[in-house]
Amino acid sequence: MTNAPRHTCTEIANAVRGGERTAVEVIEETLAAIDASNESINAFREVFHEEAMETARLIDAKVARGEDPGRLAGVPVGIKDNIATTEGTTTCGSRILEGYRSPFDATVVERLRSEGAIPIGRTNCDEFAMGSSTENCAFGTVRNPWDTSRVPGGSSGGSAAAVGSGMVPAAIGSDTGGSIRQPASFCGCVGLKPTYGRVSRYGLVAFGSSLDQIGPFTRTVEDATLLLEVMGGRDRRDSTSADQPIKDVVPESNVDLAGMRIGVPRQYVQSGANDPDVQACVDDVVARIESLGGQIVEIDLPLTETGISTYYVIAPAEASSNLARFDGIRYGYRATDDGSGLEQLYARTRAEGFGPEVQRRVMLGTYVLSSGYYDAYYKRALQVRRLIKDEFDRAFKSCDILLGPTSPFTAFELGGKPDPMSMYLCDVYTVNANIAGICGVSIPAGMDQADADGRRRPIGIHLQAQAFEESKLLGVTAALEKVLAFDDTLPG
Amino acid sequence: MNDVAIRTKRLKVGLEIHVELQTRSKMFTRTPNVAHPDFEDAPPNTLVDPVVAALPGTLPVMNRAAVEMSMLVGLALGCDIARFSKWDRKNYYYPDLPKGYQISQYDLPLCHDGEFMIRTDEGDDRRIGIIRAHLEEDTGKLGHDLPGGSTFEGSLVDLNRAGTPLLEIVTHPDFDRAEDVVTFGQELRVLCRFLGVTQGVMQRGHMRFEPNINLEMELEDGRVVKTPIVEVKNLNSFRAVRGAIEHEYDRQEVEWRETGREMGPGAKSTYGWDDEKMVTVLQREKEDAHDYRYFPDPDLVPVVVDDAWLEEVRAQLPELPAARRTRYVDDFGLREKDAVVLVEERGLSELFEASVATLNDGSAVAIAKLLLNQCAKRANESGCGVHQLGISADQIAGVIKLREADELGTQSIDALLALLSGSDDSARELAEREGLLVIVDESQLDAWCDEAIAANEQAAEDVRNGKMAAIGRLVGHVMKSSGGSVDAKSVQAGLRKKLTN
Repeated sequence: MTNAPRHTCTEIANAVRGGERTAVEVIEETLAAIDASNESINAFREVFHEEAMETARLIDAKVARGEDPGRLAGVPVGIKDNIATTEGTTTCGSRILEGYRSPFDATVVERLRSEGAIPIGRTNCDEFAMGSSTENCAFGTVRNPWDTSRVPGGSSGGSAAAVGSGMVPAAIGSDTGGSIRQPASFCGCVGLKPTYGRVSRYGLVAFGSSLDQIGPFTRTVEDATLLLEVMGGRDRRDSTSADQPIKDVVPESNVDLAGMRIGVPRQYVQSGANDPDVQACVDDVVARIESLGGQIVEIDLPLTETGISTYYVIAPAEASSNLARFDGIRYGYRATDDGSGLEQLYARTRAEGFGPEVQRRVMLGTYVLSSGYYDAYYKRALQVRRLIKDEFDRAFKSCDILLGPTSPFTAFELGGKPDPMSMYLCDVYTVNANIAGICGVSIPAGMDQADADGRRRPIGIHLQAQAFEESKLLGVTAALEKVLAFDDTLPG
Repeated sequence: MNDVAIRTKRLKVGLEIHVELQTRSKMFTRTPNVAHPDFEDAPPNTLVDPVVAALPGTLPVMNRAAVEMSMLVGLALGCDIARFSKWDRKNYYYPDLPKGYQISQYDLPLCHDGEFMIRTDEGDDRRIGIIRAHLEEDTGKLGHDLPGGSTFEGSLVDLNRAGTPLLEIVTHPDFDRAEDVVTFGQELRVLCRFLGVTQGVMQRGHMRFEPNINLEMELEDGRVVKTPIVEVKNLNSFRAVRGAIEHEYDRQEVEWRETGREMGPGAKSTYGWDDEKMVTVLQREKEDAHDYRYFPDPDLVPVVVDDAWLEEVRAQLPELPAARRTRYVDDFGLREKDAVVLVEERGLSELFEASVATLNDGSAVAIAKLLLNQCAKRANESGCGVHQLGISADQIAGVIKLREADELGTQSIDALLALLSGSDDSARELAEREGLLVIVDESQLDAWCDEAIAANEQAAEDVRNGKMAAIGRLVGHVMKSSGGSVDAKSVQAGLRKKLTN
């Protein structure tokens, strides 16, 4: 691991804007850190050495001319491989897009750039963001920086590991069912899934369009807020982006936990639901909030577990259609034409280009949308989705924030969840935020018990708030962050 | 083999019509639309952006103008405009369909439940029910010809048309004659062109027709038999529409005799049209029909039409061609034939009405004649519409006034129109300045008439003997002598006076 001092985005940007450090220095240091760690972690699939240095020089020139280089001046940011950048190749962790270069930047990338952030490289992920361990990646497995025998979580495992390992102060990922929050919890960083519609999806390669949101991985809540402020807001290229003022995400300052009603759904903490270390950590956080005068409210969310099955109808249905464009006709992988006809060419291209998990979900999605099954599966799932949303609406009448563990367990071993069903259950606490379109954040709160080798792994706490209430969510999370004072220094 | 005799045989046809809307940009992105006149000749794959090519990460954004054009057509067809409609994905794989799905409207179309009246060739008024009119995007095209005309081994994809806004209008099966389907199609084309939503160039595929055809036969034994429905795809000429229906009218009876197949679930099939052999050709049976797995497109928000928007569009709705036609005949005394032509182009119709309004003296028939004869001839030569000649309603009215006062000869009309085309001056000013006004010098006219009679003794004699047709020759002579500066009517009167005392 790197020994370079770790900074936050805010620190870096302030230093660069104030002329105390140059962007070139920051990028050189970052590239050195990536060179030192990436071989063992494999967080980055591609690193933009030249492009990043070039951008850094432009930022330094701006500073020299007395211009403001932006609120993220010189901040290197890792970009998940399913978010389009003009640098490098946009592959979504899939053979089918190997070598594919996007002619455009995602809106979020444009907005990051406009504030002086520097895309530093593309981070590995589960193929088309389908997975919870980043093991479904065509370009190698990502390792958890706290314990390299463990997964980093997924699907944004590369982004989480890049921040958790200290290679970069920030990275962006996408969250369809927990793909930011769960890996953030596994890697000991802050991971924010904004409200659906808060951040433009233009340039995010769609998985489940009604569920996908882009969000940041950072070391602090302050940084997560800063990135969200920069990335969020209405984008006319995404009809589903909300016309909500982005200043709404600025955290309520100095939130006093004493005035807060923190809801703890009993389904998140019921006996046997979580690993003992995780449960103990949640109990500890709850006790601390109470000791600070926070009001703990017991909440009932009976549909919690129903979320997974609902999700595994809606997300694959949308994915089966979203991924239809990968047909080998216009770009990407195409099977060799053996003259057996168009249908065969499609079938072989997709069978050879997609990995098994993607194929499984495309088949599942195709099935639930088929005539004769649509009503029983897809339509029913949409009805349940409505009920889950209603359940949250009711819950937020009696509390400000929902709190629980991000994941029932800490980072598991590589290959530790060989069957799809057990992998799907990783998202039990996170997926409903996507289904209901509300916002959620995971922050590191403690460590699990040391294993035989003395290694420990971070535990993440999950906070959720009503749609477009990022301000409240981030305010409470920042207050809690102060109390928890998690040390993200990697061992040894 | 069915050999029962058929007592009556009735054709039943419903029609689906695809209209390419001529918005400037495509249905879901800002790239130019090939159905707009400015972009219709764009080289292959030049009207393509990341959204059209379905590059990873792209999203559709609805074109409001296309929705408004559809509402306009819907209103003109007497449809209800849905206050809430949405976009659905129709999923299937084909190389001309970049996303692997077409964005369409499945269960909540923008327009529904309308009707359209046609006047059949037999003079009857028929009501054709409109089930729905929904908006979708067109596909690209597959071809095998390279630019320049050489042939390519394999298939070429041209995405220029991909994403063009397409309005699909579906009628009830209210047709029982091929001729009525054609009349409907032609009337709908006039309407859509009048509304300015399409150029309606059939060869370019701006309007494509898909009739659903079957037969209802009453047999000698009293049974009533319905043949399975056949959908004929993509007809882009009225000749093909008529041909396909007529061919099916015969073919379905033969098929029923051979197979005995009747209408029922799973018995619909799809045919194409062979324009050279003039026959329909089987494309696929229902058994291998697609399951399109329609579902709401999560990338787009529903279309909500509020009162303000609806009224804004309704306010743009002009008096429609059919109503204008009736009014031209009933109020202006125009011939049906002329009224038909006048409403084919909205600009022409408006020029006509403005000219009529300027004069306001009942000279509508004369105006129509001027527009449809001399002006049309001139427009034809210039390759433009009459309303695009650059002649204003005031100028048209001016020409008519000169004619009515016998101050402008027939032969001078063309010359005056030519001058008016490039000028803002009034008809009178130009005619005066260019010496086009009729000479009213009676003695000069008298001399020319005498000259003509002297030079054409035989013709003069014939006229004296009552053969009035012979006078033309004398009139021609005078016209020639005058260099066209006299009015034929007064020449004729002058000659007649001399010869028939």
